[in-house]
Amino acid sequence: MARRAHSSTHPAWFAAALVVVLLFAGGGYLIYSQLSDPFRTFSPLPVEAYLQNANSLRGNRYRVDVTVANQLGWTPQKGRLYSMDLDGSDDVLPLLIPAELNSINLQKGQRFTIEVEVIDRGILEVKRLRKA
Amino acid sequence: MKYFFLSPLLLTPLLLSAQVPDAPRAPVAAPAPVSTAPAASGGEGASPTSKPASFADSLPVFNPSTEMLTWNGQNWNINDNRLFQARFEKYLNAPESTDEEDAAYRQLLQQIIDKLAPAKVTSQAVDEAFRLLPQASRYDIDARLCEGIGDAVYSAWRAMDNNQRLVEANKSLEQERKRAEWNARVVTSTSTLSVPPKSGAAAREWARQQRQKRDADLLPYKSRLAEALAAIKLNQAKKELSELQTKIEFQTLIVQLFLQRRFQHVIIASRFYRSVFSDGDTTLNVGSDTKDLFAKTIGNPPTVSTLDTLANEALRDAREGVQAYRFLLERNELQSATKRLAEAFTIGEYLPELRTLPREIKRKALSFTQKSYQLVSALEVKDYTLARKLVEELEVIARDFDNSKPMAAIETARTVSAMHLAKARNAAVSGDRETLESELKAATEIWPRNPALADVSGKIFDSADVQQKALADLDQLLAQNNHRQIFEDKVRFIAATALYPDRQEQLKKVLDNMQIIEGAIIRASEIARHGDYAGAWEQVEIVFSQFPQDNKLNQVRADLTTQAAEFVRTLRTAQDLEAKGETGSSLAWYLKAQKLYPASSFGRAGIERLVEELLPDAQASTAVH
Repeated sequence: MARRAHSSTHPAWFAAALVVVLLFAGGGYLIYSQLSDPFRTFSPLPVEAYLQNANSLRGNRYRVDVTVANQLGWTPQKGRLYSMDLDGSDDVLPLLIPAELNSINLQKGQRFTIEVEVIDRGILEVKRLRKA
Repeated sequence: MKYFFLSPLLLTPLLLSAQVPDAPRAPVAAPAPVSTAPAASGGEGASPTSKPASFADSLPVFNPSTEMLTWNGQNWNINDNRLFQARFEKYLNAPESTDEEDAAYRQLLQQIIDKLAPAKVTSQAVDEAFRLLPQASRYDIDARLCEGIGDAVYSAWRAMDNNQRLVEANKSLEQERKRAEWNARVVTSTSTLSVPPKSGAAAREWARQQRQKRDADLLPYKSRLAEALAAIKLNQAKKELSELQTKIEFQTLIVQLFLQRRFQHVIIASRFYRSVFSDGDTTLNVGSDTKDLFAKTIGNPPTVSTLDTLANEALRDAREGVQAYRFLLERNELQSATKRLAEAFTIGEYLPELRTLPREIKRKALSFTQKSYQLVSALEVKDYTLARKLVEELEVIARDFDNSKPMAAIETARTVSAMHLAKARNAAVSGDRETLESELKAATEIWPRNPALADVSGKIFDSADVQQKALADLDQLLAQNNHRQIFEDKVRFIAATALYPDRQEQLKKVLDNMQIIEGAIIRASEIARHGDYAGAWEQVEIVFSQFPQDNKLNQVRADLTTQAAEFVRTLRTAQDLEAKGETGSSLAWYLKAQKLYPASSFGRAGIERLVEELLPDAQASTAVH
């Protein structure tokens, strides 16, 4: 029997395989991250429309990325009213954090991704939030 | 007896009759023109009143202590009335009567007087004097008075002739009476010559028949006797009545001449009277009032001689007056000199002593007289400025001028007027209009042409005009809400409203507001100077909401709005949305405005307002830092 000649794996194949693995890993992560974002189904708040006529958006839910600015007031029953700087803009939004979310600590400068609903009088009520 | 020495002055009605009385009364009738014939009854020419038969109401009475002449119930000052002034000035300006005609006339009158002089009067002299009367009456200056005297003398002579005829008639009647009486006595005596019967019855019948026969024979003589006696009595009555009537007419003429101050004619007429009526009865048969006047003057019942004496006294008084005038003139005592000449003129305007006085000498009194009359007029109309000037001038030209009375009047008026003006000034300052008006009125009444009055009232009314104009401007600006103009002219309005508390309050409010506006503008300017335009705008905007009509504030606001445009636009958007009920949107804009200008009071207020609206029971609204 003839001995077949011994053949070695070319290193390029290893590099390609690594790339593929990385691509899969990245894609997977991307997919994972997309799928794991709880606010991925909410569209961002149409700020211009909100600033012109908030009542027209009443009942809608949006996602906003904001930074905590100031607490404007609070009541045990209704919760806390904050002013939050809209990321990537000079606009400032008033957000009402209901009493149910009183357990969440908010500090000035913290960035959050928040699910909001436009309620009566055009107030943005926080439904869910998470630190960005 | 105080009237005695000036008794001729008592009777000067023709000169004074048309003088203007001191007090307005019923107009006095002008005196009748000088009559050239004797009046039918006493006083026709002498009395201008409606009672020609009596001098009772027309006889003037002169009080030398007051220089007042009372006549017909009215009073005149002989030195102060227009007619006398006019006549006296006319006399002072008239040339002296020294021409040949005047001299001839005066000489003729003197001849008549001389011929009738009691010491050398004869029938021939009386006739010669009578013949001279028509000659004298031909001169204008005589005014035909001599002709009037001649008429009176002729009438008296005719009356005397009639009386003589009555006397002759009475003589015839007396003879007739005597004849009738003699015949009656004869008839009575002849009846006793026949023999009566002896028997008783026949004798009684015979006696009865004899009586009847005698009565029948005597009856014509008795009738003729009675007729003669009646005719004699009638003629005697006619004679007495005619003589009395003639005397009254003649006396009336003399009185009239006396009242006309024709004293030379009075002397002539009285001397003719005495020559015509030689019975020695010269008692004046005039009205009781006229008699009383003369009786009070001389103390006795008046006679023709009384008038003669008074006329001579008047002539002497006029002569002495002229002499006194000349003497006082030499001593530069014009006031006394002029008074003496005026008195002499009043008495004897037509006398030679006055008519021959040279004009140049008379005119020396004219200046003083004119100024004196001006002074009287000035005092009458209360022109004390002119009066003072005239007093000073009179003191210069007349060494004896007595300035005490006019100066007392002038100084009193000046003082009292000044007091009233001072009160008026005070009232004007204190805004007491009622007192101001009353004091000005009082000052005006006392001294209407007071220069200070015009000055003071001018100032008061000028200031009042300025004040009123300022007040009108203030009202107009208030109506226009133009507080800026009021503020810029505040000094004028503060002064003008000093007397008006209500307007003062309005002005104070306006000025206070303007102080707020001005303060805001100043603060805004200062803030803007440091680049804080939003802060400056807010300073102005706060005040603008209160005073949106202030132009300057508007201008500053507009400038700052441009310089803080983004902040202002953001804030206004917030406010608009808040007004529309867009609470969320509005709050977002307010927050953005506060982000642009963190110190914004408007932003903070808006946020607080909306937070309060959203969280009514908010326990805390502090910011989270």
